[in-house]
Amino acid sequence: MLTVRTLLLSAIRRDRVTLAVWILGTALLALFAASAVGSTYGDEAERTGILRLAVDNPAILLLRGLPHGTSLPAFVFFQIFTWLALLAGLMSSFLAVRHTRAEEESGRAELVAATPAARTAPTVAALVHGVIADLVLGAAVTGALVAGGMPVPGSVASGCAVAAVGVAFLAVGLLAAQFARTSRGANTLGVAAVCAAFLLRGLGDALGSPEAGGAAMASSWPSWLSPIGWGQHVFAYTDDDLRPLLLCLALAAACIATVLVLQARRDSGASLLPARVGRATAPAWLRSSLALGWRLHWPTLVAWCAGGAAFGLFAGGLSSVVVQAADTDPDLAANLRTIVPSGGSVTQVLIAAMFALVGVIAAGSATQAVIRLRQEESHGTAELLLSTPLGRVRWLGGYLVLGALSIVLVLASGAAASAAAVLAGVLAGTDDPRHAADSLAAAAAQLPAALVYLSVLGLLFVLLPAATAALGWALLGAGVFLGVFGGLLGIPQWARDLSPFTHTPVAAGAGTDLGGAGWMVLLAAAAASAALVLMRRRELR
Amino acid sequence: MDDTLRQDIVVEAAGLEKRFGRATALAGLDLEVRRGEIHGFLGPNGAGKSTTIRVLLGLARASAGRVAVFDRDPWRDAVALHARIASVPGDVSLWPNLSGGEAIDLIGRLRGGDPRDHGERRARLIEVFQFDPTNKGRSYSKGNRQKVALIAAFATPADLYILDEPTSGLDPIMETVFDQEIRRVAGEGATVLLSSHILSAVEQLCDRVTIIRAGRTVETGTLAELRHLTRTEVSFADPGEGGATDAQLASITDAHDLHRAGGRIRFTVDSDAVSRLLPALAALEVRGLVVAPPSLEELFLRHYGEGS
Repeated sequence: MLTVRTLLLSAIRRDRVTLAVWILGTALLALFAASAVGSTYGDEAERTGILRLAVDNPAILLLRGLPHGTSLPAFVFFQIFTWLALLAGLMSSFLAVRHTRAEEESGRAELVAATPAARTAPTVAALVHGVIADLVLGAAVTGALVAGGMPVPGSVASGCAVAAVGVAFLAVGLLAAQFARTSRGANTLGVAAVCAAFLLRGLGDALGSPEAGGAAMASSWPSWLSPIGWGQHVFAYTDDDLRPLLLCLALAAACIATVLVLQARRDSGASLLPARVGRATAPAWLRSSLALGWRLHWPTLVAWCAGGAAFGLFAGGLSSVVVQAADTDPDLAANLRTIVPSGGSVTQVLIAAMFALVGVIAAGSATQAVIRLRQEESHGTAELLLSTPLGRVRWLGGYLVLGALSIVLVLASGAAASAAAVLAGVLAGTDDPRHAADSLAAAAAQLPAALVYLSVLGLLFVLLPAATAALGWALLGAGVFLGVFGGLLGIPQWARDLSPFTHTPVAAGAGTDLGGAGWMVLLAAAAASAALVLMRRRELR
Repeated sequence: MDDTLRQDIVVEAAGLEKRFGRATALAGLDLEVRRGEIHGFLGPNGAGKSTTIRVLLGLARASAGRVAVFDRDPWRDAVALHARIASVPGDVSLWPNLSGGEAIDLIGRLRGGDPRDHGERRARLIEVFQFDPTNKGRSYSKGNRQKVALIAAFATPADLYILDEPTSGLDPIMETVFDQEIRRVAGEGATVLLSSHILSAVEQLCDRVTIIRAGRTVETGTLAELRHLTRTEVSFADPGEGGATDAQLASITDAHDLHRAGGRIRFTVDSDAVSRLLPALAALEVRGLVVAPPSLEELFLRHYGEGS
């Protein structure tokens, strides 16, 4: 027991910053949701309207939750709980892997295993550590909801639900760590389990049946296969029924029992799934720095494209819904116009507002491509490449092409998902096929700003290599803050003009202003050319 | 230097300097590698071997001095030169999610050449280096990462091989395989520049060596010329005046720098004279005999002193 305590204290010390960020971030999201919903949807009739729309629209149900009553707190729970649960699941699963499989993979676990600590001591310590973290997270969420003006009993129930979902995925993460050989593999299993739970719940809710009154729903069976679905069935602020959480705890108990049996029987460092064997020879297309970049980048690019497609789905699927809402709510329409100032129709504005976020994701994927280039240099693999007849300029050029390709693919995913959602609406008789064209135009409009991010960061990579990653994410964050949310937050226009996203054109028929886009394309071309020219003189560092 | 002689010089550096900010890595280094030779490039850790090699590969630019590879500027003509050069970096890192086989093929294709020849050489090298190409880069040990770089270097023919500490992390059997590969490419007429901080590692292989210290060349020449550097140190437990008199010790031919200290008797001997020494040592019935080739660090201490 003493060894478990020692391990536990050291784990808490090592995690203090990481966990503080996770817990504070999740609590802030809860606080923001509680206060924002209160100020935006203060009116019961308005909430009833939105919930009726939601019940009719599977996309909202998928991305939010299950409507269960029109009171303000119940509406907050509908809006935000599934996301809080998702974050709790990710935090717990990462924590579990970080303190078990990652330790074994790095060999640190052998140091511990060689001491009088029992074979299961690290797992028990990680379990206790994770449960404590989940309890603190639950308390933080409760506090944030209360601070946001929500009633105490329902907030406690929400906190309990978040913590219970966290504990369930903590146990799933510990189990995943038994299976995978690498921490990366275990994290992939853990994240897949959390995402599957989110999607199963979304699917079950989307297929659910409306209850009398049209502002509440009963989910269908897939929701009951998901820990996030169990958490949601607490229905805080209306039912406050904690019984579904017993399912979370039962799942956790089953996983942990399995883990302890497996842990006591297997060798240190061994895994149930064999280490993935790679291919003995390279595929025929792997013969240039662009191809290598693609090989390294595509798994994350799939995730970026999935993000783009999710927002595109939202843009296309919700446009008709929100237009109806905006017709009855002038504040909502005004809020949308602060994000995208334009003279276009509300639908065009809404689609443009959603695609502004797809544009941010596209810029993010390009930023990551350039950062990968820097990682190649700092890890030393660039030295292997540049000792072959591959010039520095060509090497940089390959990654700039890769970044541009990423941008196009993310925007195309968004446009395709949006157009598909619009066409589904057209078939159902609720949408106008012209909105599909609006989606494509809005996606294309994001290209210049994203290209500016790509080529400016490329230039920074040449001039200030060591700062590439930090500058890349900082510039993207600043651009999003000023350009996308600046209007909402009342930032002065001159500061908002600093962000490329501010200058993204908004389709408004014949009156569309393409001036900003033209300048951005020129700037991107100039920065990319400067980067390529200066790369000739740049040493490998 | 006339043109015919110059043609025989593959790598030439004169007064080469390299500064990183205020730190000086190379302070006037001279290096000359002749066509077809195996040239050892020796120096203690931090002497500037890797920096020199990075300059020769055009990955870093010389701050001052003259440097030429095949008579061309390695910085300006890097791409053209790399078509003739195979290299192994000092610290091999691989792409974590690429298998070793994929990394070897990628480098081979970037270097160009006939894919079928590459395939045959690659298969033979994987065999002799006993390498498993299907593991992912992140799971390879230091020695296996080294093998990836070595197989990639030898799988495509080159005119010049620039190898930075190529045997670090390899076990003695693999070192032998490496020596055979070096002799093979040298036999085919290639030039080899081989850096190391262990003299014995290059002693068997090299025609000439250059020894550097603190960014400067301190010795260069054939091993015969540097024979005075490669004396073997012999020491054994001092039995006292009763066991071994000064006169007896003085009668040991070939022994240099003989002295007794710390309960041991030490002297040095030319490495090819060690066997002639053995009868004298047997007659003395010595105990705790240690016969050790000199480490480069000892050489530096002995010949150049600390900080000189």
